[in-house]
Amino acid sequence: MSEKVIVIGGGHNGLTAAATLARHGRSVVLLEKRSGLGGLAAPFEIADGYRVPGLLHDTDRFRPAVARALELHQHGLQWRETPRTELGLSAKGRGVLLSSNREAMAQELQQHSPSDVQPYHRLMTFLDSIRHIVEDLFDSPPPAPAKRELGEAIKMLKKGWAFRRLGAETMIEVLRIAPMCIADWLNEHFESAHLKALLASPALLGTWMGPWSAGSTTTWLLDELTRGRAVAGGPAALVDSLRRCAEAAGVEIRTGCPVRHLQLENGRVRGVELESGETIETASVLATTDAQTTFLELIRPADLGVEFAERIANVRSRGLVAKVHLALSGPLENTTRPGSFERMRTGEHVDDLERAFDAVKYRQISERPILDVWVPSLEDSSLAPKGHHVVSILAQFAPYDLEGGWTDAARVTLGDRVVDTLAEYAPGLKKRIVARQVLSPADLEGELGLTGGHLYHGEHALDQLAFLRPVFDCAHYRTPIEGLIVGGSSCHPGGGLTGVPGWLAAKAL
Amino acid sequence: MAHYDAIIIGGGHNGLVSAAVLAKAGRKVLVLERRHVLGGAAVTEEIYPGFKYSVCSYVVSLLRPEIIRELQLPRFGLEILPLDCSFLPLPDGRSLARWGDAERTRAEVSKFSARDAERASQFGHAMVRMGQLVRPILKMVPPSPGSMNPSQLLDLLQLGRRFQGLGPEGLALATKMMTMSAADFLDEWFESEALKAPMSVSGIIGTFQGVRSPGTAYVLLHHYMGEIDGAYRSWGFAKGGTGAISNAIADSARHFGAEIRTEAPIGRVRIEGGKATGVILENGDEIAANVVVSGVDPHRTFLGLVGEEHLDPDLVKRIRRFKMRGSSGKVNLALDRAPSFTCRPGDGPHIRGDIAIAPSIDYLERAYDQAKYGEFSTRPYLNVVIPSLTDPSVAPPGKHVMSCFVQYAPYRIKEGPEHWPEKREAFGDTVVDTLEEYIPDIRDIILHRQVLSPWDLEQEFGLTEGNIFHGELSLEQLFFLRPTADWSRYRTPVRHLWMCGSGTHPGGGIMGAPGWLAAREMLRAGGV
Amino acid sequence: MSRHSPFHERTAALCTSYRWKEWAGYHAVCSYDTSVEREYFAFRHAAGLLDASPLIKYDVRGPDAAAYLSRLSVRRIDKLAVGRVVYCCWVDDRGHVIDDGTIARLDEDAYRVTTGEPELWWLEQNRRGYDVSVEETTHRYGVLALQGPSSGAILSAVTGTDLTGLRYFGLTSARLADRDVLVSRTGYTGDLGYEVWVEAEHALPVWDTLMTEGRAYGIVPAGLDALDVTRIEAGYLLLGIDYKSAPRCLIDAQKSSPYEIGLGWMVQLDREPFIGQAALRAEKERGSEWALVGLDVSWTALEALYERHGLPPSLATHAWRTAAPLYDGKRQIGQATSGTWSPTLKRNLALATVRRGYDRVGTRIEIETTVEYRRHTIPATVVDRPFFDPERRRS
Repeated sequence: MSEKVIVIGGGHNGLTAAATLARHGRSVVLLEKRSGLGGLAAPFEIADGYRVPGLLHDTDRFRPAVARALELHQHGLQWRETPRTELGLSAKGRGVLLSSNREAMAQELQQHSPSDVQPYHRLMTFLDSIRHIVEDLFDSPPPAPAKRELGEAIKMLKKGWAFRRLGAETMIEVLRIAPMCIADWLNEHFESAHLKALLASPALLGTWMGPWSAGSTTTWLLDELTRGRAVAGGPAALVDSLRRCAEAAGVEIRTGCPVRHLQLENGRVRGVELESGETIETASVLATTDAQTTFLELIRPADLGVEFAERIANVRSRGLVAKVHLALSGPLENTTRPGSFERMRTGEHVDDLERAFDAVKYRQISERPILDVWVPSLEDSSLAPKGHHVVSILAQFAPYDLEGGWTDAARVTLGDRVVDTLAEYAPGLKKRIVARQVLSPADLEGELGLTGGHLYHGEHALDQLAFLRPVFDCAHYRTPIEGLIVGGSSCHPGGGLTGVPGWLAAKAL
Repeated sequence: MAHYDAIIIGGGHNGLVSAAVLAKAGRKVLVLERRHVLGGAAVTEEIYPGFKYSVCSYVVSLLRPEIIRELQLPRFGLEILPLDCSFLPLPDGRSLARWGDAERTRAEVSKFSARDAERASQFGHAMVRMGQLVRPILKMVPPSPGSMNPSQLLDLLQLGRRFQGLGPEGLALATKMMTMSAADFLDEWFESEALKAPMSVSGIIGTFQGVRSPGTAYVLLHHYMGEIDGAYRSWGFAKGGTGAISNAIADSARHFGAEIRTEAPIGRVRIEGGKATGVILENGDEIAANVVVSGVDPHRTFLGLVGEEHLDPDLVKRIRRFKMRGSSGKVNLALDRAPSFTCRPGDGPHIRGDIAIAPSIDYLERAYDQAKYGEFSTRPYLNVVIPSLTDPSVAPPGKHVMSCFVQYAPYRIKEGPEHWPEKREAFGDTVVDTLEEYIPDIRDIILHRQVLSPWDLEQEFGLTEGNIFHGELSLEQLFFLRPTADWSRYRTPVRHLWMCGSGTHPGGGIMGAPGWLAAREMLRAGGV
Repeated sequence: MSRHSPFHERTAALCTSYRWKEWAGYHAVCSYDTSVEREYFAFRHAAGLLDASPLIKYDVRGPDAAAYLSRLSVRRIDKLAVGRVVYCCWVDDRGHVIDDGTIARLDEDAYRVTTGEPELWWLEQNRRGYDVSVEETTHRYGVLALQGPSSGAILSAVTGTDLTGLRYFGLTSARLADRDVLVSRTGYTGDLGYEVWVEAEHALPVWDTLMTEGRAYGIVPAGLDALDVTRIEAGYLLLGIDYKSAPRCLIDAQKSSPYEIGLGWMVQLDREPFIGQAALRAEKERGSEWALVGLDVSWTALEALYERHGLPPSLATHAWRTAAPLYDGKRQIGQATSGTWSPTLKRNLALATVRRGYDRVGTRIEIETTVEYRRHTIPATVVDRPFFDPERRRS
């Protein structure tokens, strides 16, 4: 019995954790509340015959280190060879064709804004020089700066030494830019307003910040420097290979199996009680639910320290991204540039992003939301009937605590604003809409159990990263409750389809 | 031709402190001030007969006690009268006065939230702990993290140990303090807007940030550190206006032998063979000195007085990107009688401290949002003081001066900063309109109004972009990054040219610490 | 800015000494006379009437009130019967004491909690998951402490009810001056005594009736100075003096556990989880660093010391609370935090915190004292608390 581990949550982190544990010889039971696996990477039905492959699409962030450790290629995982086609939409100009291929990007910039080519190369060189540091931070447990242990001190010194080895100039530059806002930092490099807006927006996903918010450079660096190739077949393929890997290692997967609470005795885990009333005895639980769900809902208040509970309650987790899904009777065409693009983004000026963000501070939906538009049916035509398409939009910003609450009318308003904004670049859009689905942060909370509807299980912010994520006393995956390990996006290195928190948590166990 | 050990450019309070410290150490010192009065932004001027305005800077909190002691400022007329109250009038007729007397404050806060009243003392404790962390930093010449110099490495190591010594909880609190927004940070402690809003503003004064901007919680501490006679949190007026502080420092400097000249604008720093050898005045006069010390802001120092031709292009780039971004203006009023607030009438002690027009977090944030896009706030945050209620010497009997610090007034309005003169009076009207919501008869009692936009602050006081702190107090512009990473220890790439203004560590406010630390570092390094 | 208690009209008229202090935001009388003796002896020989209205009160109601208070307190509250009161303390996660006070069970789902400092934030913060409401009711009630050997007789007379049957730490309702009051057999003097709780608007008639009817029994209005002497004789702690409230401490060294302040007897470890359980269990296993003890400071040594200066021994008639260091030879081993000359026992008493090993009754140590501005040490002996414990207190 002591060998058995219960993993709560069947998202990418839960699957990664379960597979990792099972491959280390543990007997693992994975409990997923919903009927299907995948969490944010699980397919979502829009209407009969139309579905999106996941609420998040960005498989570029799944870490090769995790894939290697789990030998996912033996379970069907393949990296995409051809880069994704991605367009920055523009009302008047030709937009910016974004590419992860530097030569292609430089060529595009040569057309779009020649004076930005050199700065672009310089920026890439700088990023290359610090990439190994960030990747190392990302792929290993966070440092513990307040711990007074020799081992920890040596680890810190090693990291510190690697950091100093960058040379004084680079090191100080990193220290200087980390607390900066992304807008200021990009202004130091580039001229094209549109380019800056497109570069800036990834800094905001998973935060509660606008591009003028200090610290957004750090979230930008974390996103940018940990990106690699996407998974062929998208999130569905990723989840599939993780599931196969887990099953091959002997994980018992139980879906449709919500947990009511953890049973504790003298501060130790004793078992898990399911909503069905069934009790599973175990001494080890690895929870990949968000920190607030794990500690404030799955654990009875009496079993938790007061200060710890307060710290958890203080974790900022204010969802502000909505999902809008469209089923289209034809392709999504745009006026910016001919062709089909797998991903398109709006926002032509950093101030557009900032204005969109301003609204949530006053609990309003942005008048002109910033859209991150994915057309997954271009890669996987099975998502929609032949010739039809599905469009999956991350719409920023829509506050969880909307003034007046998330009524049906509010959802319609949000849906309309999103469609109207997109239609400015795609005039034929409205006529092709077969079905529309709007998921507000409140819906995401209800559907997926995400506290505050926050996609990243807690905002990325300088004080909620690394050894402070989610709070200092469970940032290293172990918690004040003996036998309970946390390993969801609430933990270092945070949200997104990376697999890392689950992997590191399993290793900590 | 006269030859000095040191020439100080700018007779602001930091320049004067440096001068006094150097003079006290026996150096032959000359201070050159462009204007007809000393003090820079810390001046008292009789703009309207009988009424003495503290034109720019209006309260004292951070003036370092060691400066007061060592320069014997009380002997030269420095008297600081404590501000006993922070008053928040609210448009709904309620109000909150926070007093020096903790029990009284608790009773007032309890009207809004009994919980918050209790939390306030715990918050105070947390701030004291953080203050203990920051105080030594304020007294230290910033070590550079890239340095291989043993004494700087030792400083770094000690800093590291200090942080480690906080333990995980203290470290988490310090990180929150350094990186969170004032609003989010206060949300963790308090529930009532009436407490959070006026507290949060200390996080934004003088910066181009909103109360919801990450990083503003730190400035909250910066203002919490104010001390008079060693007591935390007390702010005060200088008797005779803020200029009296500058005059006291100037008198102290003179007493120790420094020479001070006003109306002596400098054209450039004289540089020969890569070394500063003196200054050239606008009238062409040249004065030689062993060292030249600039008390003006980094932009003006490097791009104006030194000149790009003497600098590495990379440094020029860094100085250019050093954010100035003035965000505030000043409206000074001469009043026929004491104002009376609808929510708490009369001229009682509640209006003898500082008065904040900051009714809610959203109000403050909206003010900021307008400024971000290049407009002055139509409902700004105001920090109002009426020093004449405490110090009758600054106005005729029964009459009063009212000083309103106004935020936000962005230097870069959309029309361009040079269009400020056309907007100046409209800006002044906005302030009066805002006041009128709380003091209905304010219009009737105004005898005279002086409006200073950030543009005016630049033109009149030489503050680049009207930034009252010689550069944003944001994390990337503090400590070893102020004003740039290589030159954060008061030295400059031009040998024998030093900096001592608010653009150096530890930054702005009438603190005197940059001037103090710079002068001591010069003496330690030798050559002066 | 302090408030007036509901009895202020009466107390102010009687307070000829003008000696007041601030107590939890109220004006409170230190002593009505310039000397404390008349009031002290009333407590010990007849009855003293003390306005205790500033006592901070919270009403906790709801179906989970018992479970909630048990989780909050170091002792079980769920077993407390209706009509009973219990003395208790609250600790934080690390087992450091936040406050001490009483919890009275007014009804099935209703409790009244009294604390030394405002603790609403703490009470509110821990409500998550419990169906309870917490409301501060300090200002709603007047509280009178009637303490002393004749207190029972007075109260029985004015309420027309035989209250002598009310058990120690019992609570009952009664009529007094035609008003509904609550009477609890509780107090801070270590003697027979009661506390009378009345709604603020009915306060004055209750005071008047007690004073008028009590005259025959020797009732005397008494202030906080007299109370302080009696509470030290009784060996009771005072928050902020004998120990510090953990959330109000700047450093850990200033904090104390219940074991360290002599409240270990009330800690009930083996039960449902409560705040501080793990920390207290660990401390119990390893033993505490500090202990709270009673000290008997040698009178003969003090006398001799004064004699050396050519002075007769002189001691203040009221209690002191400026901490004095304690020594074993040259080693400092703790501090006396408050003390008094006991007019009843004719002994010089102190409450002290000492290092482990110095807490056994009979241990001899030295306490610092100054005579004519000179520092000296004189011997003191660890003795049992309470120093004064009359049979009538509980019988």
